[in-house]
Amino acid sequence: MTGMYWLCKREVLRVYKVWTQTVFAPVVSSLLFIVVFGLSLGGRIRMVEGFHYREFIVPGLVAMAMMQAAYSNNSASIFQARSDRYINDVLSAPMRPWQMNLGVNMGGWARSLAIGVLLLAAAIPITGAPVHHPFFMVAALLLGMVLFGALGVIVGIYAETFDHHTFVNNIVILPLAFLGGVFYSINRLGSPWHELSHVNPVFYLVNAMRYGFLGVSDANHWLCLGVTAGLAIPLYLWAQWLFSSGRRLKA
Amino acid sequence: MTPALETRALTKHYDDGTVALQDFDLTVPDGAFFGLLGPNGAGKTTLISAVCNLIRITSGEVSVFGQPADSLPARGWVGLAEQDINLDRFLTVEETLVYHGGYFGMSKDEAEARATEMIDAFDLRAKTATRTPKLSGGMRRRLLLARALMHRPRLVILDEPTAGVDFELRHELWRYIRQLHREGTTILLTTHYLEEAEELCEEIALIKGGHLIARDSADGLREQYEASSLADVYVKAMGV
Repeated sequence: MTGMYWLCKREVLRVYKVWTQTVFAPVVSSLLFIVVFGLSLGGRIRMVEGFHYREFIVPGLVAMAMMQAAYSNNSASIFQARSDRYINDVLSAPMRPWQMNLGVNMGGWARSLAIGVLLLAAAIPITGAPVHHPFFMVAALLLGMVLFGALGVIVGIYAETFDHHTFVNNIVILPLAFLGGVFYSINRLGSPWHELSHVNPVFYLVNAMRYGFLGVSDANHWLCLGVTAGLAIPLYLWAQWLFSSGRRLKA
Repeated sequence: MTPALETRALTKHYDDGTVALQDFDLTVPDGAFFGLLGPNGAGKTTLISAVCNLIRITSGEVSVFGQPADSLPARGWVGLAEQDINLDRFLTVEETLVYHGGYFGMSKDEAEARATEMIDAFDLRAKTATRTPKLSGGMRRRLLLARALMHRPRLVILDEPTAGVDFELRHELWRYIRQLHREGTTILLTTHYLEEAEELCEEIALIKGGHLIARDSADGLREQYEASSLADVYVKAMGV
């Protein structure tokens, strides 16, 4: 277990050493969204699902920032480690594959949590967003972190260039987050966009978070949590399999 | 006596079809200073990678001090300094050593004490808090060796440890490696410098195309190939 502890520590240290880039910048970006969309433009938008617009967007923005951080961190960290080949120091160490997987994932979770805590600390007083179901919110956040952290590990292991890492973030995660109801309720969409939104996995995470905060959701909140868990578990196991088999990590 | 390293019918075929090792048998006795010589692509680095769990072997067996090479105890007994500099860019010199010690099961206090020892032994004191990308080439090479020795391995594998280093550093590293061997550590060295192999190794194996073609002391190889120098042996054995 000592090896895993040091690997976790290394991943967290990496986040800490470049904190302006890993924590500060995402918090500022998300707060700018809240200020610009929530406070400045939000006054022109009528209530959404019974909440002021500035309150309505907070859960989705927190989820988006945390998930992107979990993904980006793990993807970049493992890609750099593979690219510079210092991952060999870990692969040759007396650690079990599950310890390596958990250790590598920990960095993304730590970064994600730091961003989440800071964002909540700033956004709740600014917007007045309530937290109706804190335990549900925490469960959604943890599952989201596992899902996107594992996705980051997988992409970091498969990526052949740094472009692949940014491609998934910019062309897959970000659009899915924007189209997953971060800024709107899908109840306002007509057919077929309303139905199509239900095939977007991020929609369920955003709505699980929204239920945790506001007590409302565009889909059954247990379904939202279930879908998020149903994606998080296989992705984590996939990452685990990559470490166990050595596929893509070892020639 | 259990050998430090033993491979039986070790075979590695890469995905692109390259056969790096084919039915490769090798035994390195405990306490030996063993050299591996061969041209690029002979299979030296593949062999080392198989011992250190850095590749998926196609078939065969690798054991370290009688334990399967992929077992946790065996991994802890091996220290590797790779041919290419592969230092963690986010860590300082001291962190590189302490974290490596941690990965290999050392406690914080033990790792910090050992790191101090290594920093002094490899003359890295002035750069303790420097991050690895800011080190000179020589400093990086020293740190790489210090990292390999950090967890007190019983078998140290040095893959061309003096490639690209100046004369002074090469002799300094030789001195340290010899000292390590005198203390009972088994050393497996790959090198392209024939004089380095002759100077340091008690026994030398010649590898070509994934096969072991000869192994003996430098004198024995000279006799076997009726050659006046190890360079002549190499030329004859490799058909250069």
